[in-house]
This record gives sequence, C-alpha cells and structure tokens, in this order.
Amino acid sequence: MILFFLTSGLFLGWSLGANDASNVFGSAVGSKMVSFRKAAIIASIFLILGAVIQGAGAAQTLGKLGAVNAIGGSFTLALAAALTIYVMTKFSLPVSTTQAIVGAIIGWNIFTGNRTDSGTLSKIVATWVSGPVLGAGFAILLFILITRIKRASKIHLITFESFIRTGLIIVGAFGAYSLGANNIANVMGVFVPAFNLQPLDFGLFSLTSNQQLFLLGGLAIAVGIITYSKKVMETIGANIVELSPEAAMVVVLAQSLVLFIFSSSGLSNLFIRIGLPPIPMVPVSSSQVIIGCVIGIGLYKGVRNINFRLLGEIAIGWIATPIMSGLLTFFSLFFMKNIFNIEVGHKNVEGAQTTDLSIISPDAHTSEMIKYLLLGIIIIGILAITFYLLLERKKNRELRVSEEKFWKNIK
Amino acid sequence: MAVFTRTTKKLILKIDEFFDNIELGLLVFREGIKSYLDKDMESFARHLQKVETLENNADNLQRTIENEMITHSILPQHREEVIKLIDELDEIIDSAKSSLNEIYIEMPDIPPILNKDFISLTETSVNAAEELIPAVRAYFKAPYTVREKLLKVYYFESETDKISMNTNRRIFQEMKEIDLAHKAHLRYIVHHIENISDEAQKAADLLSAMAIKIVM
Repeated sequence: MILFFLTSGLFLGWSLGANDASNVFGSAVGSKMVSFRKAAIIASIFLILGAVIQGAGAAQTLGKLGAVNAIGGSFTLALAAALTIYVMTKFSLPVSTTQAIVGAIIGWNIFTGNRTDSGTLSKIVATWVSGPVLGAGFAILLFILITRIKRASKIHLITFESFIRTGLIIVGAFGAYSLGANNIANVMGVFVPAFNLQPLDFGLFSLTSNQQLFLLGGLAIAVGIITYSKKVMETIGANIVELSPEAAMVVVLAQSLVLFIFSSSGLSNLFIRIGLPPIPMVPVSSSQVIIGCVIGIGLYKGVRNINFRLLGEIAIGWIATPIMSGLLTFFSLFFMKNIFNIEVGHKNVEGAQTTDLSIISPDAHTSEMIKYLLLGIIIIGILAITFYLLLERKKNRELRVSEEKFWKNIK
Repeated sequence: MAVFTRTTKKLILKIDEFFDNIELGLLVFREGIKSYLDKDMESFARHLQKVETLENNADNLQRTIENEMITHSILPQHREEVIKLIDELDEIIDSAKSSLNEIYIEMPDIPPILNKDFISLTETSVNAAEELIPAVRAYFKAPYTVREKLLKVYYFESETDKISMNTNRRIFQEMKEIDLAHKAHLRYIVHHIENISDEAQKAADLLSAMAIKIVM
C-alpha cells in the first residue's frame, strides 16, 4: 500500500528524469561529444548521490510551505502536479516541476484550511526570479574567464576540445548531483512529512526515513533518464549546441552552481558565519535557470535580438503552472476525500506534535521489504553498469582489430 | 576520455605531420621546376620521386586523420569542415605531383627565353600555397589571426594570375618562331603550375569561412 501511494511521486520523478536530465547532459549528448549511454549512467549515479546526501534542505522548505500530514494527500498532490506537467507539456507550454508542486501544496493548504506561510512562499517565488538572473551572472563571468584563458594560452583546438569534452562530463556529473540535491524535493518533498520509515542499516552506511524516500525518488529519476531522456537530450541539446562547446559547458556549470547554491546547507551556514544572510534552500527550475544562462551569454556577446517571447513564457510559467496545479489539486483532493473516502489531511494545530495516525509508520516487515527492494534495485543497477562497461570494452577491442586489419591491408 | 589517452596528442602530431608534408612538397616542387628549366634531369627525377613519396605520405595521413576524427568523435562540430580542408590541402600536393609527372612524361620544350617567366610563375604560385599553411596551423591555435594571414594567399594568387596571363600573352603574341601545337603545350604547362595557387585559393576560401565560424 505504501508503494502504491508513492507511485505518484515516482511518476513525478520519472518525468523529471526524462525532461530535466537534458539540461545537464543535453549539450554533451546533442553535440555527440559524450555518448547517451555514458551520460545516462553518470547522470543517474550522481543524481541519486545528490538526492540522498544533500536533498534534505530544499525538501524542508517545501515542508514549511505546507506540511502534508496524510499519505493520501501526498499521493493526490504529487499526482496533480504530475498531471499538470503532462497537460502543459502536451500543449507545449513552459512548465517547471517546482512551480507545479508549489501550486499543489498551496491547493492542499486551501483545501485543508491550513495557512500558507507567506514568508516561505515569497522566499520560494523570489528564487524563481533570482535563479535565472544568478545563472545569467555566473554564465557571463565563467564565459569571460574561459574565453580569456583560451585566447591567452593559444591551446590547440583539438586539445581544447578534449578538455571541454572532459569538462562536460565533470560539469555534467556536478550538474546531476546538484539537480538531484535540489529537485528531489519536488519529487519526494510532499511525502516527507507523511512518512516515518524505520532507519535502514546496510552495514557500511545507514539511511534515515527521508534518505530512503530520496533514494527511491532518485531511482525513479534515474529510470526516467535511462528510458525517456534520449530524445529530449538530442532535441534540446541541438538547440544549446548552437552555442560553442565552451559556451555549452559554461551554461551547464552556471546552472549547476545555481542549483547547488540553493540546496547546500553547508554554504548557507558559511554565509551565516561570515555575517551574511542565509541562502534559502529552495527547489528551483533547472530549465528556467538554463534559459537565464543562455540569455546571459547572448547579452555578453552583444546579441541584440533577445528572445523576449521566451522570457515572457517563463514569466507566464511562474503564474500559470502553480494556479493550474493548485486548482487541480484542490478538486482532486475533494474527489479523493468524498468519493474514495481517503484521508487527505487536516488542519495542522500550531505547536502541536505531529503524532498522527495518518502518518505512515510502517512495521518491521515493511521496512525489511523496502530494504530488500532498494538493495535489489542497487544490485541490478550495478550489474547493468558492469554489463555496459564490458560491452563497451568488447566494442572497442573489435574496432581496434578491424582498424589494424584495414591499415595492414592498405599498406 | 580523449584527454587521458594519447589519441588527442597523436592526432595533433599527425595533422602537423600532414602540413609538414604539404609544405615540403611545395618546396620540392619549386626545386623540381627549376631543375627542369636548368635541364638537370637527374635532379628533376629525384625531386619528382620525393614529391611522390610526400604525396603518398600525405594521403595516408589524410586517411588516418579522417578515420581517427570519426571513430573518436573528435571536433564533432567542426569535423566535416576540417576533413574538407585537409582534402583541399591534399589537392595542392596532388596538383604538384601531377604537374611534375606531366612534365616528366611530356618533356615540354620550354624556350630559354621563357625561363624567367616560368620561374617567376612557379615562385608566386608556390608562395600562395606556402602562405596558406601558417594560416591553417593558426586555425587550430589562434583562429583570430587566420584571416589576416590569408591576405597573403589572395595576394599571391592574383599575382600568379597576372604572371600566367603575361606568360601566355608572350607565348602566343611574341613568339612567332614556335608552332601552335608547341604554344598550346606551353600554355598547358603554365596552367598546371598556376593550378597550385588556384587550389590554395579554394582552400583559403573554405578556411576563411571556418575561421569566422569558430571565433563567433
């Protein structure tokens, strides 16, 4: 039953993997600098790591916006957000998982009579605007730096391209980590307050309840990347590739830095220690940040025809997505509660301890089941990667042999 | 990852070696023509053989470079143009080899009075191609400087045209003592020598466009 309720979150994770992984590896795959299989494996591994290690910060902020206190509510909310994304994508409207989930939480708050924390909401909305702006700033600075280094060093084009290729993989891995750390909140954030799983001890390391959820969400995202992101990467990548390879790398790095900043509690604590205001831990839209980065480079290069339509679409997305998702959540919750008779949540009492029956506290048997499920998925993943590496090795060996034969015959 | 393997370094060396072959081929071509005009057939045959070896090397290098660029997906965005440029450069050394071969087979009778014109034509035509090589090398290391380097190629190419026209005019209008078949044969040799600068110009046009694209 727990797994059934999680399916909507997993679906959301799948769609995030299918769509947003292209922001990280799209340019590398689209330009054929990195093969899709290699990109998918690196993205999946680092995304899961980011989600499990650093996913808590942004998820807490979403929790503050609305502590969904019933698993039925979390399920409906994630489903409504996923449907919003599906419908908006179908009509080619700009959409962000972050904005959909925020709208859904507000819809839940309205339905259950909970107050939406305006402070948290304004903090989140502010980052939607500041994310792309910050991305543009980073992109300009990094682009200036990289072009100056390139000109001063008089590096050979092929060596430079080789560095860029390696850079795209490293930056892509960092981007995937940041994406996992920042966007896992969108996928699993709404389940965090409603789930209380037993900690899992794997011997070498143990996973808390939240980390187990994030690991499951991360795996769903990874499945999304492997099964469906190839097409998106090739399409979106082709658009980004219009930029030079170094600009493409700068765009991915700038976007990764923005996502990392908005999900790093360590960096935020450092800011507090040196007397600066803390950085809000908020999930931001990677697609919108990347558009900000591309526009930043365009501005630096002196491109006059900035695509204002694209900027307008982002702004519409900021308003239209949360409203649509909120409305859908409100009506879905109504149906769930009154027709299917499922507990979808209730008003949180200020200061009261959340010892609620509707919060899932599974028994030892369920925890064991989740433990073996996770272990099974991890083992399958490792086996698949090993198989892929062996396959690559075999392919390279065959290519080498055929090359040797060709040159022997031609001489 | 290409950076951690020797593939990249090897490829750079091969590209450089290819350019060296072209440069050396042009040098030997120039000396070959001079030897022929000096009626030093032994030296001419040696130069012809040297050009053939260099052209053969260049062909092998061209194949290897194309092959490695495709199999290791190197410079995916500029690969087609780089391969085309290398092909155009190979045409230059091909042209040098075939010119020397034609001369070797047909043994044209070049009147000593035209020696100066033929030397000047060869020098200028080869200069156009020689000036192309630094520009091609610059494409890989300092693409901002490519277009200024190409100016010399265009200059020498237009000079070659002028010299070739003057030589042809002299052959057909001033040299009454030789018959029309002889004149046509000489014109054919002039055309062959001039062709090197034309090939250089073709490569320069391509390189010029490539340089704009890469610095944008």
